[in-house]
Amino acid sequence: MTVKYFATIRTYTGEAARRIDDAPVDLRELLETLAGRYGTSFRRAVFEGGELSPEIIILVNGRNVLYLEGLETPLAADDEVSIFPMVAGG
Amino acid sequence: MFGWAGTILRVDLTKGTITREATDPKLARDYLGARGLGGHIVRSEVDPQTDALGPDNKLVFAPGPFTGTFAPSAGRFNVVTKGPLNGVLAASNSGGSFGPELKYAGYDALVIEGKAAKPVYLWIRDGEVEIRDAAALWGHNTADTTDLVRAETDEDAKVSCIGPAGERQALLACVMNEMHRAAGRTGVGAVMGSKNLKAIAVSGSGAVKVADPVAFKAAVMKARKMIQAHPVGGAGLKAYGTDVLVNILNQVGALPTRNYQDGYFPTADKTGGESLAAKQLVRPKGCFSCIISCGRVTKVDNPAYAGYGEGPEYESAWGFGADCGIDDLDAITKANFLCNEYGIDTISLGSTIACAMELFERGFITAKDTDGLQLTFGNTAAMVEMARKASTGEGFGEKLAQGSYRLAESYGHPELSMTCKKQEMPAYDPRGVQGIGLNYATNNRGGDHVRGYTIAIEVLQNGAVMDPHVTEGKAELDITFQNLTGALDSSGACLFSTFGIGGAELAEMLSALTGVDYTLDEFMRIGERIWNQEKLWNLKAGYTKADDTLPVRLLKDPIKTGPSKGEVNHLDQMLPEYYRLRGWDEDGVPTKAKLKELAL
Repeated sequence: MTVKYFATIRTYTGEAARRIDDAPVDLRELLETLAGRYGTSFRRAVFEGGELSPEIIILVNGRNVLYLEGLETPLAADDEVSIFPMVAGG
Repeated sequence: MFGWAGTILRVDLTKGTITREATDPKLARDYLGARGLGGHIVRSEVDPQTDALGPDNKLVFAPGPFTGTFAPSAGRFNVVTKGPLNGVLAASNSGGSFGPELKYAGYDALVIEGKAAKPVYLWIRDGEVEIRDAAALWGHNTADTTDLVRAETDEDAKVSCIGPAGERQALLACVMNEMHRAAGRTGVGAVMGSKNLKAIAVSGSGAVKVADPVAFKAAVMKARKMIQAHPVGGAGLKAYGTDVLVNILNQVGALPTRNYQDGYFPTADKTGGESLAAKQLVRPKGCFSCIISCGRVTKVDNPAYAGYGEGPEYESAWGFGADCGIDDLDAITKANFLCNEYGIDTISLGSTIACAMELFERGFITAKDTDGLQLTFGNTAAMVEMARKASTGEGFGEKLAQGSYRLAESYGHPELSMTCKKQEMPAYDPRGVQGIGLNYATNNRGGDHVRGYTIAIEVLQNGAVMDPHVTEGKAELDITFQNLTGALDSSGACLFSTFGIGGAELAEMLSALTGVDYTLDEFMRIGERIWNQEKLWNLKAGYTKADDTLPVRLLKDPIKTGPSKGEVNHLDQMLPEYYRLRGWDEDGVPTKAKLKELAL
């Protein structure tokens, strides 16, 4: 599995992407694992009260997890997960 | 009047006359200013069938009631005219500080009429207005023109001008102000060129009168706090600029690639806002009264593309980037600099070069047509050279400067032009984001994103969320955004303020500013009135239901790779509902009842 980080999330991770060899069962497990690696700033960015922060956009294979199963979205070994803060422009 | 300056200035360049008239309070109340009021002037005084580049067309520079106040990001004005690119009631929106200065000089609108016998520029200093000889300015780029005009007038004057592209009436020409801010779309710079008007310099010493200063201050401070507390308006845009969108659009599979042949560009990250911030950003920059600062002051050190200027914005980075199959940010920024210097629309030119690349790769044009260049996707040097040629009008570049529709049609393949109503679509693939496709198809100025930015909900999760792949609910979403933007553009506020506040906050500020009691419903109704006004013009200009569509590619050819692989746009599922919710008939014509309801 590949996890990609964008915008301010990169400043928390210090890297643009990471390969995860042991795929977590679901998104919650993945984010908990990543929060353990990257620390408090990352955790605050992705979680709010134990749920997904409304200010984070997470895509699994290009689909926003809000249209999937949120933190319970199941993950597979060949998935690509993208993590964005809220961004905008135009 | 409160909020409005109370005067409209008219300059007839044929007769050399300068006149003033009072701003009609009812029109101001019902159309606000900028796009709405300017649109009303053009609709009332110009025949939709007139030659856009002839002396009978008029060119209106109009700020809005917020312009020049300390409302957040209240520096906008519109350039309104019959657009030469596609004949629509064109309004092109720009920031900077020209709009506020025009307001301080005492004007709600500057109406340019006729055509000067020789190149001229205007010098407006409060009530004093001069038509001055511009022979020495003709041929200069926008930066030099600005410097020269200031040297002849006032070092602090605010200057709008055209570059060489506007002088030769290229259909993609912009009006540039403060060197780097563009009224970019629909070819408004060509109209200015057709009138032999090189520049407008303005200096004002007045102020904007406020009806209820205490309430206005309270409403403004509330709005500013809401924007500053928002993750985008308060921090994201300042850190990464609009180009931050490259990656998220690519990751959802809606970054148009190689002239919309695909919706995913594997190396897009090299061209995104994160890369720009790391490689080229000198500092963020805001327009007048801006608390967002999305602008990018940039510097390119790479000797091949060295330069210093501003941008690129997201759309420009896409047009010269993914759409041309290019991931060299230095080259993209160089092309952007050239466009700003010569005064040409980056979105349309990028898309037009991409169209030429596809014509070349399919064998419909050869190196004999392209001045010897191998104009293939990914050829970075050729892209920059074509941007230069289009800017200067050399060789094949002059064809590019007329836009992709005329280019592709001239070689017998108009289907390769990625346009709606002959204007190039921006950087969101309607196959990956259904609602933006409906917006492109129904947009009153053709391929355009800012007047119906459903991306905020369909992709960016800004305030609400809707699945980009579904069509259900998108007609209502489009109408809401189109109406909101109609009123917002006309108020003088910046679209990006809506990354933090909404129509209710805008209406509250507007009421305190003007003394007119605007509810949210009335604010939205003004936007609807302006949308229908533009629609009525377009119908008289000859547009029909058949023009409310997308390029066939987007309806028939699925995206080939990436997260939206296999998707096409389902416009047919959304358009009838859109007409119905608009109160239009099955042919997309506003009903008499709707026009009566809107007092049109």
